Amino acid sequence: MSIATQLILNGIIAGAIYALVASGFSLIYGVTKFMHFAHGAVLATGAYLLYTFAVMAGLNFWLAVVLAIMVTSLFGAVMNWVVYKPLRKIKASSAVLLIASIALMTFINAAVLAIWGADVKTVPTVNPVFDALGARVTFIQVIIIVVSILLLLALWWLMKCTKLGKAMRAVADNKEVAQTVGINPEKIYTYTFIIGSFLAGVAGVLIGIEQNLYPQMGVSLVIKGFTGAVIGSLASIPGAVLGSFILGLVENIGIWWLPSGYKDAIAFVLLFIFLLFKPSGLLGKKVREA
Amino acid sequence: MAFINYVIHLAILIGIYSIVTFSLNLAVGFTGLLNLGHVGFFGIGAYVSALLAVQGVSLWISIPLGALAAMVMGIILAMPTTRLKGDYLALATLGFTFILGSVARNWTDVTRGALGIPGIPKIVKGNTEFLFVVVVLAVVSYLAMWYISRSRFGLTCEAIRDDELAAKMLGKNTFAHKALMLGFSALFAGFAGGLFAHYITFIDPSIFGINDLILMFSMLIVGGLASVKGSAIGTIVLFLIPEPLRFIGFPSSVLGPMREMIFALILLLILIYRPKGLFGKVDFS
Amino acid sequence: MIRVKNLAKHFGGVYAVKDCSFDIKPGKITSVIGPNGAGKTTMFNLVCNIISADDGSVYFKKENITRLPTHKIARVGISRTFQQARLFKNLTVKENLTISRPCSEKEIRDVLEKVAFKLPIDTKGSALSYGQMRLLEIARALLHPHELLMLDEPTAGVNPSVRQELKKILKQLNKEGKTIMFIEHDMDFVMSISDEVIVMAEGRVLMRGTPKQVQKDKRVLEAYLGK
Repeated sequence: MSIATQLILNGIIAGAIYALVASGFSLIYGVTKFMHFAHGAVLATGAYLLYTFAVMAGLNFWLAVVLAIMVTSLFGAVMNWVVYKPLRKIKASSAVLLIASIALMTFINAAVLAIWGADVKTVPTVNPVFDALGARVTFIQVIIIVVSILLLLALWWLMKCTKLGKAMRAVADNKEVAQTVGINPEKIYTYTFIIGSFLAGVAGVLIGIEQNLYPQMGVSLVIKGFTGAVIGSLASIPGAVLGSFILGLVENIGIWWLPSGYKDAIAFVLLFIFLLFKPSGLLGKKVREA
Repeated sequence: MAFINYVIHLAILIGIYSIVTFSLNLAVGFTGLLNLGHVGFFGIGAYVSALLAVQGVSLWISIPLGALAAMVMGIILAMPTTRLKGDYLALATLGFTFILGSVARNWTDVTRGALGIPGIPKIVKGNTEFLFVVVVLAVVSYLAMWYISRSRFGLTCEAIRDDELAAKMLGKNTFAHKALMLGFSALFAGFAGGLFAHYITFIDPSIFGINDLILMFSMLIVGGLASVKGSAIGTIVLFLIPEPLRFIGFPSSVLGPMREMIFALILLLILIYRPKGLFGKVDFS
Repeated sequence: MIRVKNLAKHFGGVYAVKDCSFDIKPGKITSVIGPNGAGKTTMFNLVCNIISADDGSVYFKKENITRLPTHKIARVGISRTFQQARLFKNLTVKENLTISRPCSEKEIRDVLEKVAFKLPIDTKGSALSYGQMRLLEIARALLHPHELLMLDEPTAGVNPSVRQELKKILKQLNKEGKTIMFIEHDMDFVMSISDEVIVMAEGRVLMRGTPKQVQKDKRVLEAYLGK
């Protein structure tokens, strides 16, 4: 019985992390209409920056966390300016932007590898273990769940209740119409990338504390994130969050039957099934096909 | 002497990868299918042929079987996915690549997982002879793919790329065309994968990695979509550009990532500043 | 030739085509007119199964083609053009024409002459003016083996001289025995060459008759002006 509880709990923790990744990914997708794969690399950058500030530079831990998240948020905006904005200017299709984002991801991954090396890094922290309903849970895992829920609520509030959120939704809905009411889409894209990358930075920091760092970490996480987003609905943040928790749970409960090495394969198969049979996702309205 | 060996090694890789680039062009350039599963086909060809060959199967049989396995995979993948458009097709084919990588890592009874497959027999012993074999096979592959692209079938695929609905209205079964072309694309990628495995003599699941995908797309787009000449020249250019780094004296732990950074950077620059590549005939829609 | 029975299609809650029935007689020129949003193009797309019908059926020479895939509908003998000319823009004029079936140089010359297309046949589709695109699209539709030719607003966006040219072409084709059905807004064009006119409004066939009958009918005017 406790194994089942443990698997479910692991699923919720994984889901919380995926939800942070997926919400940023689908926020950016919703507003800019292309798949920003390099989001995963942004996340890895966040984790490595934390390592740099906290371990290599020996800064105060909390200062390091804040710095890492801030620099990561800006990093996302810089990507938008340097790569995506010029591409939008020449009216590149979403397919081109997708390829560019994959190129950007491999570029950053390789840069991380060149700068920090291939060996696994850890950020040492105090991490007491609790017993909850017969399952084992660490202090940091509790933090992860709490922080992601708080952030997702904040994001929801931002999108629904603030002027910026409304402008973002307007651009997402119809860029041309948004322009006619005086919204500058490029400015909104910049904010979108900052907010999306902020979420990635938080996710990177949390994962950096809980798990080991390795250069390719962003790739597998962004795949999980966008799989979660596809399951729920690529263009809707609540959908992406729902999909992420489903993915986390299915993956972790799935290893009840399958060897744990197949965890990733479970995600890809789910992704594949949804892309083929329900590309609009569970909460999506329009089917984007044909 | 060492320098000549190095040139021959480079020439062999260029020969193998020029087949990959043209085969990717069949799907992406000539048919308009944004297929990110090409490393998957390459890897299937490599794995199937290597696994058969280490069991003692003749390379005359194993390499073609590897290519055929890739083709079958291509057609199977096409069945559900060619209904999807643009970035969704890209995602599905990318997902397919990840599934293959995951299988290669975890199906340890067959693939030995992360340990990879060592001791794959070479096609011929000496590298000079190997180069000769590769050149011949690359030329034959180019002629075959050129024939496919210039045939009525290939022309119809180009029409489908430009306007699928109009092609349907002229009585073309566009789905069958796309599936078959993805199959041909996979066939030659798998063939090149086989040659690669029997040259390098060792493969592991990293063959399904995303880095190689970027290399393939850089070669394709630098050369230009739907251009035969472009595929060959794009491959040569991309292989030569990072080579001077070798002589600057960077440690090998930095050299690998730097090569990847260069490939990615070239791809980004060409997408922004010259989206048609050197000889591209069509735009990326 | 073609028989449409109770065809219906709704998008969201709104019916674009509803209870639409008519038939087209062989060897005639039939035009389809109606105000914007009457469902004319949707009806064309339903006939070709480019969008699938919610209800109703389409018969072509007694064969039920309602659920046939588009390319098979094209093969039973229907050829059509689109509201916005759809060319293969990276292919040459000649390649555009030979996609449907291989044809001789002479056939290509003849068909281009017929539609008064005057550019070299190795020009790329993307280099054509809009009017030339329309003509090439019609030529392409003509080379596709067909018994029924469906044209969606052939005169939209072309200049008056090409318009006159088109009129001649359609009359000539009709003389050669072709069955033609087209959607059109240009009333002079419609009235001068149609054997029969179908008036659509709000997704239904409002009335059908000769150009004279249609011109006299009060309902037609009401449909255009609103009641």
